[in-house]
Amino acid sequence: MHLYTFLSLLLIFGPLIFGLLVMLAPGWRYKTPVIVLSALTIMAGGILLALQGPFTLSIDSGLMKALPLIELLILAIIIYIGFAIKKMLIIGLGILQLAIGLISDMLPHSVQAHVPTLKVDLLAVIMVLIVSVIGPLIVMYAIGYMKRYEVHGPEQMRSTGLFFFFLIGFLGVMNGLVMSNDLKLLAIFWELTTLCSFMLIGHDKTEDAGESAYRALWINSLGGAALMLASFLSISASGSASLDELVAVGSLLPLALICLAAFTKSAQLPFQSWLLGAMVAPTPVSALLHSTTMVKAGVYLIIRLAPGLGGTRMGQVVAIAGAFTFALASAMAISQSNGKKVLAYSTIANLGLIIICAAIHTPLAYAAAILLTCFHAISKAMLFLCVGTIEQGIGSRDIEDMEGLMRKMPITTVIAIIGMVSMMMPPFGMLIGKWMALEAVIMSPLVLFLLIMGSALTVVFWSKWIGRIQTVAYHPVYKIEDVPFSMFATKGVLLLGIIAAAAVVVPLFKRVISPMAMAMFSETVVTSRSWDLMNSASAFIEWPLFFMLALVVPVLFLVVRGIKKSHIRQPFLCGENLEGAKTTFEFRTLMDKGESARIRSYYLNPLFGEAHLTAWANPIAIALIFIMFGVISK
Amino acid sequence: MIMIDPVITALLAIFAVPFIGAFLVGLDRKLTARMQSRIGPPLLQPIYDVIKLLHKEPIVVNRVQIIYAGLHLIFMVLCVVLLALGQDMLMALFILAFSTISLILGGMSVRSPYSRIGSQREIMQMLSYEPILILMLVGIYLINDSFMARDILASGKPLLLSLPLIFPAFLMVMAIKLQKSPFDFSTSHHGHQEIIKGITLEYSGPFLAILEITHWYEIFLLFFIITMFWATSIPVGLLIAAVCFFCEILLDNIMARLTWPWMLRFMWTVALGLAVTNVLWLYI
Repeated sequence: MHLYTFLSLLLIFGPLIFGLLVMLAPGWRYKTPVIVLSALTIMAGGILLALQGPFTLSIDSGLMKALPLIELLILAIIIYIGFAIKKMLIIGLGILQLAIGLISDMLPHSVQAHVPTLKVDLLAVIMVLIVSVIGPLIVMYAIGYMKRYEVHGPEQMRSTGLFFFFLIGFLGVMNGLVMSNDLKLLAIFWELTTLCSFMLIGHDKTEDAGESAYRALWINSLGGAALMLASFLSISASGSASLDELVAVGSLLPLALICLAAFTKSAQLPFQSWLLGAMVAPTPVSALLHSTTMVKAGVYLIIRLAPGLGGTRMGQVVAIAGAFTFALASAMAISQSNGKKVLAYSTIANLGLIIICAAIHTPLAYAAAILLTCFHAISKAMLFLCVGTIEQGIGSRDIEDMEGLMRKMPITTVIAIIGMVSMMMPPFGMLIGKWMALEAVIMSPLVLFLLIMGSALTVVFWSKWIGRIQTVAYHPVYKIEDVPFSMFATKGVLLLGIIAAAAVVVPLFKRVISPMAMAMFSETVVTSRSWDLMNSASAFIEWPLFFMLALVVPVLFLVVRGIKKSHIRQPFLCGENLEGAKTTFEFRTLMDKGESARIRSYYLNPLFGEAHLTAWANPIAIALIFIMFGVISK
Repeated sequence: MIMIDPVITALLAIFAVPFIGAFLVGLDRKLTARMQSRIGPPLLQPIYDVIKLLHKEPIVVNRVQIIYAGLHLIFMVLCVVLLALGQDMLMALFILAFSTISLILGGMSVRSPYSRIGSQREIMQMLSYEPILILMLVGIYLINDSFMARDILASGKPLLLSLPLIFPAFLMVMAIKLQKSPFDFSTSHHGHQEIIKGITLEYSGPFLAILEITHWYEIFLLFFIITMFWATSIPVGLLIAAVCFFCEILLDNIMARLTWPWMLRFMWTVALGLAVTNVLWLYI
């Protein structure tokens, strides 16, 4: 057996077996080592696979004959769930998928020997790396998180074994999804991610959780049906069931259907509601859904389809839909005070940004899409882990309650601030990606306009949040908060990852991503303008930035170290500050009465309120999807 | 752009620019004083002020403030250096934005209601002018086919003739950036408004000096961008910049302050409308 055969088996089926072991292990004493070992094994497997490099793998046709059976089984489970929760919609969508599946199985579809079943190219390698390096970190974080969660939660939340089975298994399913080239196999993994997310979101078994899980299931089943229809059309038209050929043939209807499926999975407008509802789940689930798995499956597929979309009218509509989501989700995030919801809207917006880049399909846009996918995964994973820690620490996820967090949880606060800064400031990767995206869409005015407005809005909600948590009076020494080792260590590793990624972003772009994009377009005709943009971005010189930072950071450090208690004064409060006040917000007012000043953040509800923005944004988004299908027939 | 060693250009930008900025600030104060029938301070007063501030004892509310003051300065300097090296203007603009964000975060890090209101208003100011600045660069790209500052002369035709509507929009942005009435919400040069000195209220001594020096770089930057609109002949460009500068000061002295919701509406309708219209005809 080749090394890569072994690795792909390990990465796809390993997590399922590990998950089973964790589930069977009795009590935390046995669970913890099993979880850590399996997480480390998956990580090692992912890194080895990346070192091994791209490869393709054909599975012999005997095994492939079993696929329809597996598909049947999964759909039967979905229909069963539909009956169990008494939702006609789920049953209906399940039966629809079943029908499409059965008909396409009956079609004479020749399994060609030269078409590989698994195709691991550079893009897939990058995705596998994201899934199997960041994913296991989240799983290990969950050890400490779930221990606490079990103690505080009601009785029905204590099915931790099952929880870990789905959490770890999710990584295998996602690895399978990004590796498969066969449409049938892809559809199976697609359904499995839907099922995993249904189980994880519903973990708490509260009414809220049930409702959210149901919503995630039906929206994603709709996407699943679209994907199966696309594969049916592709098989019936060309007799080939491979993703490669589907892109190469470039028939627009299947492409549009897959885009629809990707929109549901990536929670683009109007399908955003399932991802917003998913925040009821324990935080490791949110971290996993938002950064490495699930939503990344959608954008991954669109990046994969990009050669087929590029230069078509439909591709332009997809880009506009992504841009619309980017601008509107950023606007809605401003009006939210729930930390997890702000993160959710920011995820939706960034996925929109990646979709724009993929659909524009120029070398620079392609490179931007890949960079954004990587850096978003790592930053968002860390931010969710921080919010989870904060929530357990202060008992609230409301941003207004995070006032003075710097004193209560200094380490977590600093990590969270760096995480947020990495979403928008230099020298971190997200900014580089956004910059490249802006230059890449320069010839599509509408997309460009939405992108400009969206990126101005993004800055508002991040800076409001950072401002809220870092507010602090002078403390000579900070008391380090008590956080379980697993939660602390995983965030530390992610933090190091973010800093390392910031240091290597430009070389990474020049050495890896840029040649990858160039190779991608070597046989495609692109305008000289796109090449010029690519070349000038590649010629970007980063030394002034690092030179300045290297110069100023030590100086600032020395100045900050030099500040003693005698240099500290109370802030001005329009009256005498109260001696020994608990907060420095209290001052003496009329008749010597103590008065405390309190400043809330701007939420601009009349302008950016979620309810009324959604009310007109969703119809427009639905219209854009119809237009996407409409332009095909033109 | 004259081709000299990039390191020398960078050093020149770092050390010469603040003095030009200080001179412009001094001129501003002199002109304002004359408009108000005062004699006004000497032209180099801003420099004397900063020297005095630098010699003061460091007084702070907390230590986080200092870090943000430093970042505010360093990002601003970086922006000027990138432009002087003829680099990508979009990146320079982003870096300029992060300089402002650092100022905002510094203002928000202290537990002072005035400083915090000022910071939140500054965020609203950014929200209202940032899209216009990016649209200006889009316009320049559509004319020159390049985002590089060094290619600004490529078209051989003054930018103003191709961007006649973006130019007034930029002047409105400039009024916000210079904290001039009717847009001086977050802080102002006159410490008698309802939030006192707003965003910079809790800075003093050497750290206030850092903010002042940063402002010198910023004022030079704005002056430089106006000059760029007529880059084919530098004297004409400077003349235009001088006239615009004078108008800003005049406006500052004859206008009352309005509210930030008004500013957001005004900038997103009038100024953004002008910029979008201009960019649209460049596309067609």
